[in-house]
Amino acid sequence: MTKKTVLLISCLVFLFCGCSKTNKNTVVFEVGGAPNEISFWEEIIKDFQQQSGIKVEIIRQPTDTDQRRQGLVVALKSNKNNPDVFLMDVAWISQFAASGWLENLDNYLKADKVDTGIFFKNVINLSDKYNNNTIALPVYVDGGMLYYRKDLLNKYGFNNAPVTWDQLIEYSLKIQKQERKTNPGFYGFVWQGAQYEGLICSFIEFAGSNGGIIIKDNQIKINTPANIKTLGMLCDLIHIQKISPPNIFTEMKEEEVRTFFQQGDALFERNWPYAWSLHQNDDSAVKGKVGLASVPHFAGNKSASTLGGWHIGISKFSDAKDLSWEFVKFTVSYETQKKLAMKLGWNPGRKDIYKDREIKQKFPHFSYLGNIFENLTPRPNLPYYTQISEIMQKHINSALSGKTNPETALKEAELEINNSIKRYLK
Amino acid sequence: MNKELRSPLLFIAPVLTFILIFILLPVIGTVVTSLYKDITYLDNKFIFFENYRQIFQDPGFWQSLRFTMFFILVSIPLEMLLGLIFAILIDQEVPYKGFLRVCILIPWAIPAAISSRTWELIYNYNYGLANFICSFTGISVQPVNWLGTSLGAFFSLVLADVWKTTPFIAIILLTGLQIIPGEIYLQAQVDRANFLQRFFKITLPLLKPVFIVALLFRTIDGLRIFDIIYILTHGGPGGATASLSHYSYKYFLAGDFGYGSAVSTTLFIISFLLSLVYLKFGKFQNTLS
Repeated sequence: MTKKTVLLISCLVFLFCGCSKTNKNTVVFEVGGAPNEISFWEEIIKDFQQQSGIKVEIIRQPTDTDQRRQGLVVALKSNKNNPDVFLMDVAWISQFAASGWLENLDNYLKADKVDTGIFFKNVINLSDKYNNNTIALPVYVDGGMLYYRKDLLNKYGFNNAPVTWDQLIEYSLKIQKQERKTNPGFYGFVWQGAQYEGLICSFIEFAGSNGGIIIKDNQIKINTPANIKTLGMLCDLIHIQKISPPNIFTEMKEEEVRTFFQQGDALFERNWPYAWSLHQNDDSAVKGKVGLASVPHFAGNKSASTLGGWHIGISKFSDAKDLSWEFVKFTVSYETQKKLAMKLGWNPGRKDIYKDREIKQKFPHFSYLGNIFENLTPRPNLPYYTQISEIMQKHINSALSGKTNPETALKEAELEINNSIKRYLK
Repeated sequence: MNKELRSPLLFIAPVLTFILIFILLPVIGTVVTSLYKDITYLDNKFIFFENYRQIFQDPGFWQSLRFTMFFILVSIPLEMLLGLIFAILIDQEVPYKGFLRVCILIPWAIPAAISSRTWELIYNYNYGLANFICSFTGISVQPVNWLGTSLGAFFSLVLADVWKTTPFIAIILLTGLQIIPGEIYLQAQVDRANFLQRFFKITLPLLKPVFIVALLFRTIDGLRIFDIIYILTHGGPGGATASLSHYSYKYFLAGDFGYGSAVSTTLFIISFLLSLVYLKFGKFQNTLS
C-alpha cells in the first residue's frame, strides 16, 4: 500500500467517525438563543450531570427562531436518533406533534407521579396536548402586554394606564404633542408590525380585544366587521393619528420596539415580559419609570394576550428516552425553574414559582404576570398554522403600509388561506 | 475500453463523483420530491404534477415571479454597465492601479449577509445614514421610510445588489479586456481610429464571449436572489419583495417539502431556459472557436 492510499483511507475513516452515533447513555439536547441563554443551559446541564450522573451533550443553535426550527425539522424529518430533547416555540408544537415526532409523556408523568397541575392549566391544554396526549411541557411562558411610562402619565394628569384603545389614543395624542416640543422623535405607541410572525402575535391580541379570529370546521374567518375595524384602527395609528412611527410596518420587531421605548422615545409599548428586566438596566433611560398593564381592548370587550413561550419535548426517534425524561423532569423542577427566573428573568411554566418569596422580592411584577398567564389567547393550534400566518402577515402588513385597504386585505387573506389549506387537510 | 479513453476518465473521476454526489443527486432528489405530496404531518403520496398545477393557480407564486423578473431586469443591466465602466477604468495605466483594483473588489469580498446588515443600517428610519444625509443636506426634512413602499423597497434592494455585484462583473470583464491583444489597438491607432471607434469596433466584439459569461452568471444568480431579501425586507411590505427562492424557503420551513421543491424546480427550469436564450443570442459556440 502506498502512502497516499493510507492517507486516503484514514481520511475516510475520520469522515465516517464523524457520522457515528453517540453513546446511548448520553442525552443530546438541542437548544439555541443568545449567548447568556446558552451559558445558562450549560450551567443547568452541569448541575444535572452532578445529580444524576447522566451525561448531556449540547447542540448549539442560533438565536433566530426560524433557524432553530429549520435545524430541528431537518433532523426529525430524517428520523435521526439525535437530538433526544429539544426546545420548541409554542407556534410549531402542533406541526411537530401531528408529524408524529414527539414522544407521549403521559406514561412518564404517571410513573413518576408528576402532576401537570403545577403548570398553568390553559397553557398545558392549549399547547402541550395533542389527541389528549401530553407531548411537551412548558419551560417558560410568554404573553403580550402593555408597558407604559408612569412618570409621563402622572405628569399630564392621567392616573391609570389606558383600558380601552380610545383612551390609549387620547393619552398618546395629548402627551405626544407636548413631549415633541423637547423630543421631536417622540411617539405615542410602538408595537411589532413588520412582516414576520410577531405581527400575527400583535394582531391576534388586538383582534382578540374585539372578538378575534374564528376557526370552525377547518374554515378560518378573519374577514369579520370586528377585525376590519381593528385593522383599520391599526392603520390609523400610523397614518391618521400618527402616534405610531411610520417604520412600524418595516422595521419594528421585538428588539427594535424595546430599544425605541427604552431610549425614552415612546409612551406605550406592546412587548413580551422579557423587556421588563432590560428596561430596569442601569443604562436604560426609562429605569424605574415603567408600568405594566394588560393590552387595551375595545369598549365592551375584554383584553387579550397572545400565548408565547418555549416548551420541552422528547423526540420519538430518540435512543435514550428514559434518560431524556430524567432531563426533562429536571428542567421543569422547582429549582431549575426558579433559577430560570432569577438568572434570565424569564417567566417559568410552573405556577408555584410566582408565589416564591425570593422571586416576589426580586420581581414584583411577577404576581401580576401570573394573573395574565391564566388567560392567554393561543394562535390557531393547527399543524398548518405557519402557512396561515405567512398569508396573514403578507396581507395585514400590506394594509399597514397603506398599499391596500383593511377590507380588501382581510378579504384576500381569508380567500387565500381557505384556498391554500385545502392542501393540508387529509 | 481503450487505454486512450481510460486514463482521462480516471483523471476526471474524482470531480465527476463529487458533482454526482453533491450536485446531481440533490437536483434529482428535488425534482422527485416535487412530484409528491410531501408534508410532514400527512402521508407521502405520489401526485404527479398536482403541485405544479397548484403553483400556477397561486397568486403568491405569480407575485414573486413578477418581482424576481423585474428585479433582474432592472439590476442586471445596471450591474453590467457599471461593471464595464469600472473594468475599462482599472484597465488603464493609472497610478496606484493595484490599490484601486482592491478597493473595487471590496464589496464582492464581503459576505452578503454582512453587507445586507450594513444596508439595513443605512436604510434605517431612525438613525440610518441615508436619512442622515437627506436631513443634513436639506433634501428632506421628514425622515424617509425607504423600505416602506413597494417601489422604495424594490429600488433599495436593487441598489444594495448593484453595489455588491458590480465588482464581480468588473473583474470578469477585466480579464476579458486583458486577453485582447494590444497589437490590435496599435494597428487601430495607426489607422487613426478614435476612442469610440476603437471601443465599438474592437473592444466590444472581442469582449462579447466574456460579457455573455458574466451576464449568464449574474442572471442565474439574480434569479435565486435570497440573502438580501431575507435580511432587508423579509418579503415586505405586504409581500411586495418576495423572490422565488424566498417563497419556496417559506414552504420548506413550514414542512411542505413537495410544494417547496416544485417551486424550486420551476425556478430551475426558468433559469435553464433563460441560459439557453443567452447562449443562442450570444452565439457562444462560434465566438469561442
